[in-house]
Amino acid sequence: MRRELGGYPLWLRVWHWGNAVLFVILLITGLSMHYSRPGPALGFRTDVLIHNTAGALLTLFYCLFLYGNLRLGNGRYYRIVAGDIEPGLLWQTRYYLWGIFVGSPHPYPHSEERKFNPLQKMFYLAVMYLLFPILAVTGWALLFPGRLPEAMFGVPGIGLWALAHTYIGYFVSLFMVIHVYLGTTGSTPGALFRFMWSGDTGRPEPAPTVPRPGLGDRPGDHDAVPVTTTKEHI
Amino acid sequence: MRAVGTFVLLLASAIWFVPASVAQKGEHEPPCMQCHQPRDTTIDPVQFSHSVHATLDCTSCHTEGFSKFPHAGTRAGMPDCIDCHSGMVVSPTIDFDKIAQGVQASVHVKMVDPAFRCTNCHSPHYFIPASRMVDASVARSVANKSCLGCHAAGDTPAASDRAFEKLAEKHRLFPHWELHIQENACVACHTPRGEQTIHLILPKSEALRDCAACHGKNSLLATKLYTHLALKERAEHGWVNSMVFNNAYLTGAIRNRWLDWTTLGLAGLVLLGVAAHGLGRLLFARFLRRRS
Repeated sequence: MRRELGGYPLWLRVWHWGNAVLFVILLITGLSMHYSRPGPALGFRTDVLIHNTAGALLTLFYCLFLYGNLRLGNGRYYRIVAGDIEPGLLWQTRYYLWGIFVGSPHPYPHSEERKFNPLQKMFYLAVMYLLFPILAVTGWALLFPGRLPEAMFGVPGIGLWALAHTYIGYFVSLFMVIHVYLGTTGSTPGALFRFMWSGDTGRPEPAPTVPRPGLGDRPGDHDAVPVTTTKEHI
Repeated sequence: MRAVGTFVLLLASAIWFVPASVAQKGEHEPPCMQCHQPRDTTIDPVQFSHSVHATLDCTSCHTEGFSKFPHAGTRAGMPDCIDCHSGMVVSPTIDFDKIAQGVQASVHVKMVDPAFRCTNCHSPHYFIPASRMVDASVARSVANKSCLGCHAAGDTPAASDRAFEKLAEKHRLFPHWELHIQENACVACHTPRGEQTIHLILPKSEALRDCAACHGKNSLLATKLYTHLALKERAEHGWVNSMVFNNAYLTGAIRNRWLDWTTLGLAGLVLLGVAAHGLGRLLFARFLRRRS
């Protein structure tokens, strides 16, 4: 029953935590290579091997993500709906800048229909459908450096791909920092982490709703918004 | 008038038949080329004319016993390169006395031949310094050819290819090892780390195995091998030099400090923002609890 309250299915949790572990490994080894200094013999080579392996696995996880979104219904949470941009982004930003401090109700609480708040959705869309594919394509290309064009736009081709890979990886890492921090904004700092681990919202029953006209333009969302004092959005 | 025409014709013919290298040098050219015409000699005059020694007379090196025919001199009696080059310091990496010391300490002298000479690797007739080559890849290719001349030698081109493949396979420890073989100078790893010498060739057991020596800050590729290119590109390309250096990309070695500082600054701001937001939540929560 609790799954119906907006819990996360097993495949999604496996994907999420697998993604997390692989991304941390990629970040550590990536930084280690980028800032490498002469040290223990073959240290750099070990980084390369781990980075390449983790990168290939992460691509498989991305395929799982795409499959889940296309075939298992998870994609609907990424669709931009009326009200997400206006007033959604404004409301959510206002909540993070003020409401969250004073205990205001979350403007877009978690539900089976809406797992991501508008701001979150925009970031996830950009990261998962734009930045991550670029990271994966450039990463795979760098596994075959001999086949990359020698020069592009006046600089070495491999340099351009590596530059895109490095700095997009950097931005996705910054996103991850914010993502982890917002994970502490549940009813307790650990609530959302537990939720993502167990897939269970921990709520015994659906949250009551009160009329709140004008919240969103999506049919069905106009007049009934769950009231919650928890800030359970990552 | 007819006499003048004949003279001009004769003069033009004379110029036409003088070999280019002789014509360029005029009076200073020793008579060697009168016998050693390009077709007869093993020295390619065109290649020689591009070499660092092109301005020298043949007898500068071919000294004792080469001024008369038949020649009484032998190669063994010729002066050593260091006889002229001693004391010459062209750059921190090209200090000829240090180079000579390096060669003496190298595996070539210690284990191959005590009389190992510069000319075993460097052709005195065709030698061009790396700084005068088009780019690092040409310099690398020429330098490696010296090594492969012995280390991948074969009686036939096919045998040479097999010898090269066998040699290359010993370098499988590298990721993309084929690329490393093609794009790297042998002396980058087969000389002591931390020293600018590229002539103190080490036994293979002591070859450099630390990838970060190249793939890291102060990469030896910029401090040991291609210093002139590093300086040139810095002058030409300014702050982006680190991205185009050597017309290649090396993870860890080629970084742009401005981009690095910008991204580190951004990361600092994000962490600071997150910390401030978290602290704000904590303080507000306490304040609200007390009020209630």
